[in-house]
Amino acid sequence: MKFAKELCISAVASALLSIATASAAQTVSLGAVLPLTGASASVGDDQRRGIELAVEQVNAHNGVLGQKLQVVVEDSGGNAATALSSARKLVSVNKVPVVLGEFSSGITIPVGEYVVQQGDVHINIGSSSPAIRKIGEGSFSVIGLDDLSARFAAGDVFAQSLKDVAFIAPNNSYGQGVASEFKKRFESLGGKVSSVVLYSEGQSTYRRELQQMSRSSPQAYVYSAYGQEAATINREAYELGLSKKKWYGIYLTMCTSDTVPQAAQGQEGLEVASIGAGGKTYEQAYREKYKEAPKSSFGSYAYDGVMVAAAAINKAGAADPAKIRAAMKTVVPYNGATGTIAFDDAGQRKEQPYDKVKFDTKVVAR
Amino acid sequence: MLQFIVDVLIRTSDIMLVAVGLSVVYSLVKFPNIAHVQYAMLGAFGTLALNRTGLPFSLALIGACIATGVVAVLLNVLVFKRLLRSGSSIAMIGSLAISMILIAVVLGIAGSRPFRYSSGLSSPITLGSTIISVDQITSIACGFGCVALLAVLLFKTGVGRSMRAMSSNPALAAATGVDGARVVNGITFLSGALAALGGTMLGLTESVHVGLGTNLLLPVFAAAILGGLGNPLGAAAGALLISVSETLVTNLDFGWLFGTTDVYVPVTYISAASFVILLVALLFRPYGIFDREVRRV
Repeated sequence: MKFAKELCISAVASALLSIATASAAQTVSLGAVLPLTGASASVGDDQRRGIELAVEQVNAHNGVLGQKLQVVVEDSGGNAATALSSARKLVSVNKVPVVLGEFSSGITIPVGEYVVQQGDVHINIGSSSPAIRKIGEGSFSVIGLDDLSARFAAGDVFAQSLKDVAFIAPNNSYGQGVASEFKKRFESLGGKVSSVVLYSEGQSTYRRELQQMSRSSPQAYVYSAYGQEAATINREAYELGLSKKKWYGIYLTMCTSDTVPQAAQGQEGLEVASIGAGGKTYEQAYREKYKEAPKSSFGSYAYDGVMVAAAAINKAGAADPAKIRAAMKTVVPYNGATGTIAFDDAGQRKEQPYDKVKFDTKVVAR
Repeated sequence: MLQFIVDVLIRTSDIMLVAVGLSVVYSLVKFPNIAHVQYAMLGAFGTLALNRTGLPFSLALIGACIATGVVAVLLNVLVFKRLLRSGSSIAMIGSLAISMILIAVVLGIAGSRPFRYSSGLSSPITLGSTIISVDQITSIACGFGCVALLAVLLFKTGVGRSMRAMSSNPALAAATGVDGARVVNGITFLSGALAALGGTMLGLTESVHVGLGTNLLLPVFAAAILGGLGNPLGAAAGALLISVSETLVTNLDFGWLFGTTDVYVPVTYISAASFVILLVALLFRPYGIFDREVRRV
């Protein structure tokens, strides 16, 4: 009697276990940590769409290793603590070999460091601080870092005979990185950055910061700020009358994603090139599925992140993090929606194309 | 100079109404009501909700002030009066709990995104060498106007006299025929309405978001304490002093110390300035700078 009971229990247990492993074996899961809420929620939503489009594209072409691809998306909440618990959940509960994310450098760096410490692969799809170079072995970027963007921005601003500018960026690893890079490049060209303001994230007013910047009477204002905070900055600059001077935005779609169009009218800037040679299909698929143009330039980088990861897993022949790390180095150069992706020795994108853009009720090419 | 005055007025009007509301009710309830700043947040969201249903802004504002006043009275009667029986620290912890509940409820209904009352921009007006927007003028006018009206109410009307009597000595006031319960409810309603008005004005010049009350907590308490808790006009003066110190600190050019121009204290340190002022003032005048009471040794 007792033996029969034990036999029953073990039979049921092994049946459940085989069902569980069988269902897990039918999909390859990747993880993504995105800012679905918080200051960058608009861009986070666009990144999520890029990931969805990539998953559809991969699954329409035999999936990964013959199985369906699935990307588990977790919210970072716009702060590092929530992002880390999301990453922890992805790595220990969902057991994904690759984690993509995030958008803000101050969040990507701790998430990336955690993921590579756990032995998995980290792909940066939206951050650009030069400090990302130091995350470590196993972290790759499909988007160029700010040493490249600052050089482009400094050259672009200087070429318009604007020699005395004021600079504002968030007080985190992204803002600190882009501010020091821009100042270095701009001053090496012969210009002057008369005021550098690093604003605290999450405030509901930036009037005093703007007033401090305006006191040095610059010819132009160079800025970079996350969606909701940039909306406040742009609105208050308009209310203070500062928008009459030239404003130059680094990553202009991020800076204007939530801004009232009237406040940003006439701004210029740079943006990561979002539709490279192979990108027309991305834009078409986006318009078909979501019935509007891509909301920012960062969705296509999330798309390319998933595509490169899928290609690397196929090349590695297994969803094993160590093999995927090795395969990531050999699967490039890869022709993605954002152009040709190649990594340098530190796994960062070697060449990053930028577009000169301006804001005319929305961001358009100049 | 004009820019300095305008900046000070804008910052004062941000915190003045809420600080005055806090001060008005403090002498009655005798505990620091942390939930008071959340009444400001509630008022801002109330105006937003009523505005979105189609009411014009001014009517939505009045409706939200009345509603918040009622909420303040209800919370006082149902929660704080009972907690006060166990002591003022228990009541303060209770107000912290109510604060968290209010934030959670609004967060659940409205989400964490900031809102604005109108989707357009407020056009800037040039006054001499300075620029100010229509919203900011509205906020300043509303703030100072209401404090003036409150002063008239408190010092020139019978109702105000009863309120002041209750605030300074409840037992004696009851003995002279002042209806204690009605006056307390009236004062609580007034403080809630003032907080709601202050919160709406802040939402007008900045944005309506769940953190609006929490951001106000420290400056409002500093202003109320500086002016002497229980002294409403003192709280207005305290708000003015806090904003003067904040604006001075960020406007002063320390370039002469470094031999260059345009060196300013980063805005992140701005709260430190007002709290240093508060600390210094309390060291010399512990009951607020307008304290005139004689205390027995």
